[in-house]
Amino acid sequence: MSSEQFLNLENVLFTVAMIGYLAAMVLYWLFFVLKKNMVGKGADCFAAAAFLLHTGALVIRGIGAGRLPLSNQYEFATSFAWGICACYLFFLWKYKFRALGAFVTPVIFLVIGYAAMQSREVRELMPALRSHWLAIHVSSAIISYGAFGVSFAVSLMFLIRQGKEDSPFWQEHIPDGKRLDLISYRAVSLGFLFLTFVMISGAIWAERAWGSYWSWDPKETWSLITWIIYAIYLHLRISRGWKGKSAALFAVIGFICVIFTYIGVNTFLPGIHSYA
Amino acid sequence: MKKIARIVFSMKFALALLGILLAACLAGSVIPQGKEASYYLSEYSEQAGGAILALGLDDVFHCAWFVLLAVVLCLNLTGCNIVHFPSLLERSRNGFSPERYKRSGRAKELSVSGSPEELFESCGFHRLVRGTGGDGKEYIYGVKNRAGIWGAWLCHLGMLIVILGFGLGQMKQVSFAVYGVPGQTKTVEGTGYELTIDDFAVDLRPDDTVEQYTASITMRDTATGESRSGQTSVNHPATLFGMRCYQNSTGWAATVQVWKEDRMIQEEVLCAGEYMNVEDKEGLAVMFAAFYPDYAEGEDGMPGTASSKLQNPAYLYRLYYRNEILGMNVLGAKEAITVDAYTIIFTDSQNYTLIQIKRDPFTWLAAIGAAIVMTGLFFAFYLRTAEVYAERKEDGSWSVSGYSRKGGPEFEDQLKQSQA
Ligand code: HEM
Repeated sequence: MSSEQFLNLENVLFTVAMIGYLAAMVLYWLFFVLKKNMVGKGADCFAAAAFLLHTGALVIRGIGAGRLPLSNQYEFATSFAWGICACYLFFLWKYKFRALGAFVTPVIFLVIGYAAMQSREVRELMPALRSHWLAIHVSSAIISYGAFGVSFAVSLMFLIRQGKEDSPFWQEHIPDGKRLDLISYRAVSLGFLFLTFVMISGAIWAERAWGSYWSWDPKETWSLITWIIYAIYLHLRISRGWKGKSAALFAVIGFICVIFTYIGVNTFLPGIHSYA
Repeated sequence: MKKIARIVFSMKFALALLGILLAACLAGSVIPQGKEASYYLSEYSEQAGGAILALGLDDVFHCAWFVLLAVVLCLNLTGCNIVHFPSLLERSRNGFSPERYKRSGRAKELSVSGSPEELFESCGFHRLVRGTGGDGKEYIYGVKNRAGIWGAWLCHLGMLIVILGFGLGQMKQVSFAVYGVPGQTKTVEGTGYELTIDDFAVDLRPDDTVEQYTASITMRDTATGESRSGQTSVNHPATLFGMRCYQNSTGWAATVQVWKEDRMIQEEVLCAGEYMNVEDKEGLAVMFAAFYPDYAEGEDGMPGTASSKLQNPAYLYRLYYRNEILGMNVLGAKEAITVDAYTIIFTDSQNYTLIQIKRDPFTWLAAIGAAIVMTGLFFAFYLRTAEVYAERKEDGSWSVSGYSRKGGPEFEDQLKQSQA
């Protein structure tokens, strides 16, 4: 296949996946409003199907470009959306917690929508970007950000849940506060472990490419800010009395920082990561 | 004294420190760093600019209070780890036993019919202890992932080492930049070494983009005469005499010749941006201002290049006499500058390479710290310490319970599900 054919196939898969996510989002919301299990199941199916198509689009792009599709703003955005969906489906499978979809799919849709606005041109990489460490760095970022996306959604639910504990729908479909807190904690731990690795692998790459493993470049600094916020979350959860609401608030702020680190830093602040 | 220590080593204090660190990072990423004082005064209002300078926010990450913050954070981490060490050691030695478990009274009881052993095995408890308690009751006890209790401690230790390694590195690291064209030898200031650039290659792809820059270099110890060679390319630095040599950047160089009456009287290789003094004529200097490998005039009449291929070289020069500019122009490959009796020509354009040479004697320390942090995090999050306990009731059936601080309701669910 020529590179143009690869690109066309990728475009088709990407667009259908995006529509799939949109449909899943609408169905999850309907599930919330109509409180019908069938609708929720349908939403799960759409989310899973969209995820498969999305995976296909990424694989096709990878084959067409002859490398991992993790190198420019479009590729990272689409992979980021993929990571959130992968983490969501994992948590759905593990905790059977469907209502979470109503909160996660909008995030997925926003991120993939952002990807859709970026240029999809496949470009050769400049020498500094041709590094295994960079590929490891970005792949772990996807998992980390995906997990934080899930914790964001769970924490939002936690915050919204208060006062609705008695509603039968919430009781049936949404875990109690203790469990929500635990699920959010699990997602944050996964994200935090990987974020730490993102920073370490990034430092190794920076050392090899630029000669300095940490140079307080805005993107590095913002990943540290995100990391500190989640570290505060972890400690708040441990210290008695803070568990729950305040920790949930930090998980929400943490994810806003994730988004800013990813989109805002490139847009508003200068640095060596700006070409990404 | 004890009271102060209790505050300084507390988690609340740690959270306050992390909060300040957060604020410092925010300031450091939003305010441009390391500029002249005048920049802040003109870019911000006079008061804001003054405040930025007074608080050291123009160079947050190196200012005194930031260093102090790092030191206090290290003290806090050390103290926290020292304070918690004895109790952790005690817990890991004696904390997990059927007696303690029973005394703790934390367990929520689940009733099971049949043998609890299978249930425990299926939940990952493989080494079970059987016995009879002081009250004459038969029990089965199991514990898993005991190492997990060390997770946070390891993570804190690792952080401490990372900060230490980074801080020492900042103090002790040395860095030099050497640039030149193949064949040139330059001294690496203050180290007693000389660097020779043996070769420099730019690999282009068919579409004219750069695949890789590779320099072959030799470092020579001028005291002993010993020399070592290596290759450095982007993302693959060479290590010679314990120093890391990075292929950092590249640019264009040219050979500049000065002729007088059909005789070449001076020849030097200049990199774009450099100048040379004409030795024969005091006060006369020529600067190699810019290079165009494939010269083409832009629409605005300004000089430019059509591609990065070397096919139609042109040189932008400036000529000075006693620091006054005499003239500037673009010179084609076969053209020359004539001043008085002198003819100056530019020739043999080629790429020069800039090699960054660095030695940070503490990178390894930060790397070890980072590995410990990762291990600690894995222990803290995924080795969830858990205990199970079963006691034979009078009717012969077993009452079963389990506890996991980190597992929470999930662990109880797991026990219940396995039982079902
Ligand atoms: C940059 C600094 C720090 C990082 C990255 C960090 C990281 C962590 C992590 C990952 C955990 C485990 C959380 C969990 O299992 O959910 C933890 C727990 C803890 N941290 Fe920190 N921490 C830092 C600073 C501090 C400091 C300075 C103190 C000192 C008072 C402290 C006190 C604690 C305590 C008491 C725990 C609970 C230990 C336990 O559950 O056994 N932390 N920390």
